[in-house]
Amino acid sequence: METLLCLIKDALEVLTQSQGLLVLFKAFFPLTFPIRRADVSCPRQKAGEGVEKWKIHWRLLPMHKLFGRPLSIFITLILLGLSSAQAEIRETSVWWLPRNVNMFGHAIDFIFYVILLLTGVTFIGVFSVMAFFLVKYRARPGVPAIHSHGNNTLEVVWTTIPVFIFLGLAIYGNEEWSRMRRQTPPADALPVAVVGEQFGWNVRYPGADGKLAKMDAKKISKENPFGVDPADQDGLDDFTTYGEIVFPVNRPIRLYLGSKDVIHAFYVPEFRLYQDMVPGRVYDFVWLKAEATGKFQLACNQLCGQGHYKMFGKLSVVPVAEYESWAKGKAPAPAVSGATSGTPVVLNQR
Amino acid sequence: MTTATLPHAATHSSHEHTESSGWGKYLWSMDHKIIGLQYLFTSLLFLFVGGGLALLLRWQLAYPSTQVMPNGDVGNPMSLAFINPQFYNSLFTMHATVMVFLVVMPLLIGAFGNYLIPLKIGAGDMAFPLINELSYWAYALSGIILMASFLVAGGAAAGGWTSYAPLSSVAAYNNTQIGQSLWCVGIFINGLASIMGAFNYITTIVNMRAPGMGFFRMPLAVWALFITAFLLLLAVPVLSAAAAMLFLDLNSGTNFFNPAHGGQPLLWQHLFWFFGHPEVYIMILPAMGLVSDVLAIFARKPIFGYRAMVYAMVAIGFLGFIVWGHHMFVSGMNLVLSAAFGVSTMVIAVPSAIKTFNWLGTLWGGSIRFTTAMLNALAFVLMFVIGGLSGIFMASTPVDIFVHHTYFIVAHIHYVLFGGSIFGIFAALYTWYPKMFGRMLDETLGKIHFALTFVFFNLCFFPMHNVGLGGMMRRIADPTAYEHLRALQPINQFITLAAIGLGFSQFIFLWNFFRSLKVGAPAGNNPWEATTLEWTVASPPGHGNFGTTPTVYRGPYDYSVPGHVRDYIMQNEPPISESPSGKPKHAVAVG
Repeated sequence: METLLCLIKDALEVLTQSQGLLVLFKAFFPLTFPIRRADVSCPRQKAGEGVEKWKIHWRLLPMHKLFGRPLSIFITLILLGLSSAQAEIRETSVWWLPRNVNMFGHAIDFIFYVILLLTGVTFIGVFSVMAFFLVKYRARPGVPAIHSHGNNTLEVVWTTIPVFIFLGLAIYGNEEWSRMRRQTPPADALPVAVVGEQFGWNVRYPGADGKLAKMDAKKISKENPFGVDPADQDGLDDFTTYGEIVFPVNRPIRLYLGSKDVIHAFYVPEFRLYQDMVPGRVYDFVWLKAEATGKFQLACNQLCGQGHYKMFGKLSVVPVAEYESWAKGKAPAPAVSGATSGTPVVLNQR
Repeated sequence: MTTATLPHAATHSSHEHTESSGWGKYLWSMDHKIIGLQYLFTSLLFLFVGGGLALLLRWQLAYPSTQVMPNGDVGNPMSLAFINPQFYNSLFTMHATVMVFLVVMPLLIGAFGNYLIPLKIGAGDMAFPLINELSYWAYALSGIILMASFLVAGGAAAGGWTSYAPLSSVAAYNNTQIGQSLWCVGIFINGLASIMGAFNYITTIVNMRAPGMGFFRMPLAVWALFITAFLLLLAVPVLSAAAAMLFLDLNSGTNFFNPAHGGQPLLWQHLFWFFGHPEVYIMILPAMGLVSDVLAIFARKPIFGYRAMVYAMVAIGFLGFIVWGHHMFVSGMNLVLSAAFGVSTMVIAVPSAIKTFNWLGTLWGGSIRFTTAMLNALAFVLMFVIGGLSGIFMASTPVDIFVHHTYFIVAHIHYVLFGGSIFGIFAALYTWYPKMFGRMLDETLGKIHFALTFVFFNLCFFPMHNVGLGGMMRRIADPTAYEHLRALQPINQFITLAAIGLGFSQFIFLWNFFRSLKVGAPAGNNPWEATTLEWTVASPPGHGNFGTTPTVYRGPYDYSVPGHVRDYIMQNEPPISESPSGKPKHAVAVG
């Protein structure tokens, strides 16, 4: 009964919020404004080498500006006034992509907007033609339908055009993907190992030598979450954390991803990054470069069991000096029983 | 295009079994029409079960019971306390399992396939009536097993309907050993039902078409079910094998999928998606076929580009088998493989586009009657377009990396499966209900049901695109556990309200369905003035369907033929030049 009353109250709130111009304005305001703010807070001029191409695209065709706002307005119109009052502060629009801080994210966002443009135009086209036909060819007395079995020329046309569009998209998307994946991480990349377990994250950083101990998926076990050889010289000064990741800004980072038990996934929306971590395997090809500082959340995005929904970690991108002082404060890990944990710290932390 | 080599085999099989009487008629009958209705009623029951599970899911997402407030207060007064995270995982696992295996497949293939195939091709029954009945009872058994799994220790399977190993294959990881095992058994038996149905359909369509019913005179609904049957026959055994392996891993100490003992988790993904992607087309192709028939009937026009439609479906059927890898882009796939799967995935969009354009072409120049059935068919086209277009984002590997496993993909699958298949099912139900029960459904109630469903459907699922782009993961029991998702919570609550509206709108349909059984207007043989063979016989058709085997003289969509008195010509009407009164004015031929 109480539940029902609350539901009615909620519904009433929704209804009352949607009345009046003022509320409408309030609804638009937080949705449109932060998109601009995100652009400002994400400076693109700190160019790393080899990534100019995407940035040039980005500046020439600011599609996020063309689409972000009209689309958010359009959707707001559908869902009048829901978000404004209750939404907490968020770095970007509630309705749209979170801001991107990864060097590789620009290319991904760009492809996203290209596809959005194509599909948007297609949908509007199909919808308009259909609406026009439905009105024009509604049944009217004395007006018979046209008897037609089709038109082969048309069939050829509307087969060929999509073939080229879709093949183009496939090739384009794939080119970008192989470009991202084929780029080997620079030699000065900071190696960081992340091994998922039910339900938390083991993280291992290199010490002063800048080298991580070599990981072997076959050796990963309860006592040895990173699968390292205790005698490995590179690993003696490594340190570990549990559920806490700190990245220096503007420095390439090479991830070594693995899993102790079931499949987990490394997912940070602001990095436009998702990678499954299938057990029995160490993924060494993922690398990234954060272009802005901030606090983020690392989420497991592959169903991993009962506690999956709260398998998150703290991830922050900080200035290089701050990172170095943070790293200095960490004691080297015991050679094998890697995790500093015991109790999964991450579970009830916000 | 010759017809069946045994011209009179069509009605022959109906003599192999006789009509039973009393209640047994509804339980043990081997008549394809009764079996079709058994499938129909059972899967409609499961539709409401699956929908109820979905509403529990939505409630939990809007008002999480696990929520811990920042100020230390535990819980939310609105939450349903019995939904703990493990039960939540069971809920979405079983929601998807029920909807896929117990609702959409049996409705489209079991109910409409069984009911319509013999009627539309002029046959007296299916080729193997006993197998047909066994297929239904295997399906019913699988439903009972899957439902029973809620009651066992540990609860129902909680590894997602995709059941990725090793979470699903190691009891210590999933804590639902019995539930997951029952899931395997249920899926295995359900697979048997599908396989039995599939080869029955193929045999029936190949061998039992009425004289004159060439392949290119078959209605598109039959073509779609024909192609679907091949997909079932090739894809379902793979899933059955995988389910058996998973069962052994769970219970008998094998290690097919457990890397700790030399197994390979990706093997499960390959097996599952080798079935799983054709499965997507298994669930949409029959709806496409049925909707094509509905569009032709109510636009009073032949299908635009009939042959192109057939070839497009064949192409979808073929390509559907070489795209499964796109579900695994995120598993760290080899670049060459991901390129190949990316290309094949984009290419499979082409036949879908062809079908959409041809549906629009069918509307062009029509004389469109806006019946409830037609409205649902039009909604099918439009929603399928949205679902298809949102799929293109995932076909592009780099974008897939970002939107994979977010609510964007949940929106996509529901636009295809609800917006597509379920609207297609409603269109077909409103069209063929008069044939099945001899009475019409109420059009006013039908239109109210359609309008509410359409509006609530879009309010419910469209915002999911945005929630997903905002970074909300699927399959999490409590989005408020994440700082970056807390701002999305009002949208989640809105989606839940819309979902509740969507769920309750379906009771209008239920009311209409059962009320019309008693008080609906009598339908007559051919209430929609349609052309195909099922409309030549009584509603509902008697045992054996056709008194004498019909002879087919023309294609399935002879609507609005110029110079003809009525705007439709039945498939079994002799050509005008041969009819005693008509003058030879034209020759009509499809194909």
